[in-house]
Amino acid sequence: MFAAFAVAPVAWLFAFFLLPLAIIWAYSFGENKSLTEIVVTGSLADYAHAMKPLYFGIIFKSFWFAALTTILCLVVGFPVAIAITFASEKTKAWLLLLIMLPFWTNLLIRTYALMAVLRTEGYVNFALSLVWNGLSGLGGFMGYRLGAFQPLPLLHNDFAVVFGLVYVQLPFMVLPLYAALDRLDRSLLEASLDLGAGHLATFVNVVVPLAMPGIVSGVLVTLIPSVGAYLTPDLLGGPNSMMIANVIERQFKSADDWPFGSALSFLLMYMTFLAIAVQGLVARNRRRREARA
Amino acid sequence: MSTIRPPRSSSRRSCLAGLGAVAAGLSLSGLGACAHQGPLGPNGEELKLNLYNWDTYTGKTTLADFRAATGIDVKMSLFASNDELFAKLRAGNPGFDVIVPSNEFVTRFRISDMLMPLDHSKIPNYRNILPGFRDPPFDPGRRYSMPYTWLVLGIGYRKSKIDGVPDSWKWVMDSDRYKGRIGVFSEADDMIELGAKYLGHSVRNVPPDVIDRVAEMYIRQKPNIKIFHHDEGQDLLLAGDVDIVMEYNGDIAQVMQEDPDLDFVVPREGSLLNSDCLCIPKGAPRPDNAHRFINFILDAHNGAEIYNTIRYPTPNAGALSLMPAEYRDNPVIFPPAHVMATCEYGDFEGLDRAHLFDETATRIFAA
Amino acid sequence: MTGIVMLNTPGPLEYLRRWPIRVWLAGVVVFLYAPLLTLMIFSFNDDKRNIVWRGFTLKYYALTFRDTDLMVAFGNSLTIAAISTVVSLVLGALTALLLWRFRFPGKLLFEGALALPIVVPEICMGVAMLVFFTQILPWPSGLPFPLNLGAIIVSHISFSFSFVAIVIRGRLASFNREFEEAAKDLGAGEWRIFWDVLVPHMQPGLIAGALLAFTLSLDDFVITFFTSGPDTTTFPVKVYSMVRFSVTPEVNAASTILILLTVALTALALRISGGDIARVEAGEGV
Repeated sequence: MFAAFAVAPVAWLFAFFLLPLAIIWAYSFGENKSLTEIVVTGSLADYAHAMKPLYFGIIFKSFWFAALTTILCLVVGFPVAIAITFASEKTKAWLLLLIMLPFWTNLLIRTYALMAVLRTEGYVNFALSLVWNGLSGLGGFMGYRLGAFQPLPLLHNDFAVVFGLVYVQLPFMVLPLYAALDRLDRSLLEASLDLGAGHLATFVNVVVPLAMPGIVSGVLVTLIPSVGAYLTPDLLGGPNSMMIANVIERQFKSADDWPFGSALSFLLMYMTFLAIAVQGLVARNRRRREARA
Repeated sequence: MSTIRPPRSSSRRSCLAGLGAVAAGLSLSGLGACAHQGPLGPNGEELKLNLYNWDTYTGKTTLADFRAATGIDVKMSLFASNDELFAKLRAGNPGFDVIVPSNEFVTRFRISDMLMPLDHSKIPNYRNILPGFRDPPFDPGRRYSMPYTWLVLGIGYRKSKIDGVPDSWKWVMDSDRYKGRIGVFSEADDMIELGAKYLGHSVRNVPPDVIDRVAEMYIRQKPNIKIFHHDEGQDLLLAGDVDIVMEYNGDIAQVMQEDPDLDFVVPREGSLLNSDCLCIPKGAPRPDNAHRFINFILDAHNGAEIYNTIRYPTPNAGALSLMPAEYRDNPVIFPPAHVMATCEYGDFEGLDRAHLFDETATRIFAA
Repeated sequence: MTGIVMLNTPGPLEYLRRWPIRVWLAGVVVFLYAPLLTLMIFSFNDDKRNIVWRGFTLKYYALTFRDTDLMVAFGNSLTIAAISTVVSLVLGALTALLLWRFRFPGKLLFEGALALPIVVPEICMGVAMLVFFTQILPWPSGLPFPLNLGAIIVSHISFSFSFVAIVIRGRLASFNREFEEAAKDLGAGEWRIFWDVLVPHMQPGLIAGALLAFTLSLDDFVITFFTSGPDTTTFPVKVYSMVRFSVTPEVNAASTILILLTVALTALALRISGGDIARVEAGEGV
């Protein structure tokens, strides 16, 4: 019975996932022998290359964008999670659906939709120009002169990338938060409020510590895909908004440097594993502390 | 607390019904694409051709005309850059019969032994090609490629928004006069080689210190550059997103037809020449069809139809003679001789140099 | 008895009834949906440049349906998603059952390995599949449909069956083993227990998992981008090249069709499972 269950998944995982990754890992220690051949020499030249300030800077920037995205998602998503948690059963299901539906929509389409919103003649600038012109008309009436409307540069820059990442990742943050909040013992909250703590104090001192595992998993689920994002910086970003996934893609498509691209890919993976390991450690320490308490 | 639910055999049935629907859908869509194993032509090859080409790079009726003439159905896939083309074919031909690389990549393909030698006896229309294109340095004797178009990189601009004629690369690379209205080509080689040209150096064998100076120049210019485009510069110009852009003459000639406020100029420092060629990659499943297609393209009438649409300069004397004067005498499409004298072909100069160019481009982008 | 007037002020924890939360929630919903709705509305715009609204037309929808490349890509996407879903479901269910039921040496390692497809950045997996299918297992070209989509299908299965396993595992965790024991007491054999007791309990998880696998496959861009070829384009890859080259309302029309399809699928799945999916997806029972 066990074998019947085990064979297929294990075989698949090994052949079509671990093996390809292992090949990339091997390539990261390789060199380009010619335009089309790669020789695995065991050299660390590719990793050294990846550590150069140029690439390290891009890696750092990717993490910075991801961190920013996560914080924004946390701030925006927490009230939403609270709203859903404390809603009536029927409303809850609807609200969850409402928040999750965009997640099920294609990422490419969502990013493309944002382009129409943010570009120079996009909807935001269009609305702003209407407001501006209205004010200008009013001002002209009163003798003031407003200059011509300068559209805001909202697309093809860092702002657009972070905006796009938040737009895409928000549902990912709300779900774990909701899951954690839903498991809270409401009586604790009511007790805290009864004892005179205001909502904010209750929030900071009771809700957040109790929901911490959910917060941490939400952070992780938002942070990791954001670091490795490819489409969002590609479509919405400016030339200096390149993130690490774009550099990796370059190596495999334009620069034709597969060993180097492999090294960069694995650097990204190592960092991802590190983040998860840190989360695992923190979670384990919490549980130990709770068990002791 | 889970509620006790009796086994729902109805749900199993609906599951199976769902699977059945999926299977039916699969077979239906499969039938639709069953034209895959089609009839064979007189040459023993399937009546199909897989063409891998740049976007907007055939005439409006070229593929239909080919099918009418030969019965061969052409399926055209698009790539956005030579690198994409090379990467796709790098580890084996996934089924393309005809590809359209630029000259530098004809060299790369050639030295990597990825091209099938052309049988000139199957391409009698070769006689239409101008003598100047019959023996290029990147493919002596045209053993592996046939010329399709040639191109010149220059500056496309909107006359009403630009003072005078911007006949120097300075306005794109080294000046803040048109801050926020500039578009630059983001292909590493083109960027750096043209930068070298602006600084007075040839596009070939650019020494490392000149490369650094070019990089510094672009980095200084970055605040003024609105967008680094991937060959959609002419659309940006037409839409008004930029007013001055580094682009190919053919692309700009296309949009000039739609908007008379646009114009094109080759800067006086000179520029880069390219030539896009038709090649048959090794492992093409239908090489005979491929030869027939290339011969078809090189025909004077078919060629004229193509060049009328894509507005790129043609190396085909036969087609040229059939083109209207408005095309032949168009200084955008055929820059005058004194301008052509300042332009050079680039070439592939080794993998290390290519990596250096790419890294420099990454450095410029990331700064 | 005098009538007691009940003031309908929100209770201490009825956050949803307080106006700041309501405003925030409304703002977030607008933020999430406005771009998508405007995209859908502008698919009816009678203007090639699609910047200003010029008039209502259905011609871009007509163009979309007549665009054979796009329709073939769409068919490819659906086929890949269908096959990938079925196989992922089977593999995912097997994995979930394996981990739930058995203890074996190396279980922790296996669980770790299973977490990899979820954790590994898409770009890394994309390039790994590219290299795998070009250097190690070159997928023969010119195979009859749908085998020619094999490389893409295999890649999709590889990353989605872990997700399915998690969802099903979550559902299994809430299984009351007493039912299993009761069935055994009543004389049912192993396979009977499996089909008639366990599987019905797993059903919402199976449906949620299938929905997840289908949408993951349908939506995937990065991994497919690296493994697709001339005859094997998928819908997102085709739309990407349309967005890059020529942005007309046709792109909007194609996108709208995809959005509506996804919504319809979700509604269908919800109807079948009776609303359990949202909870399963939210991780209740995980």
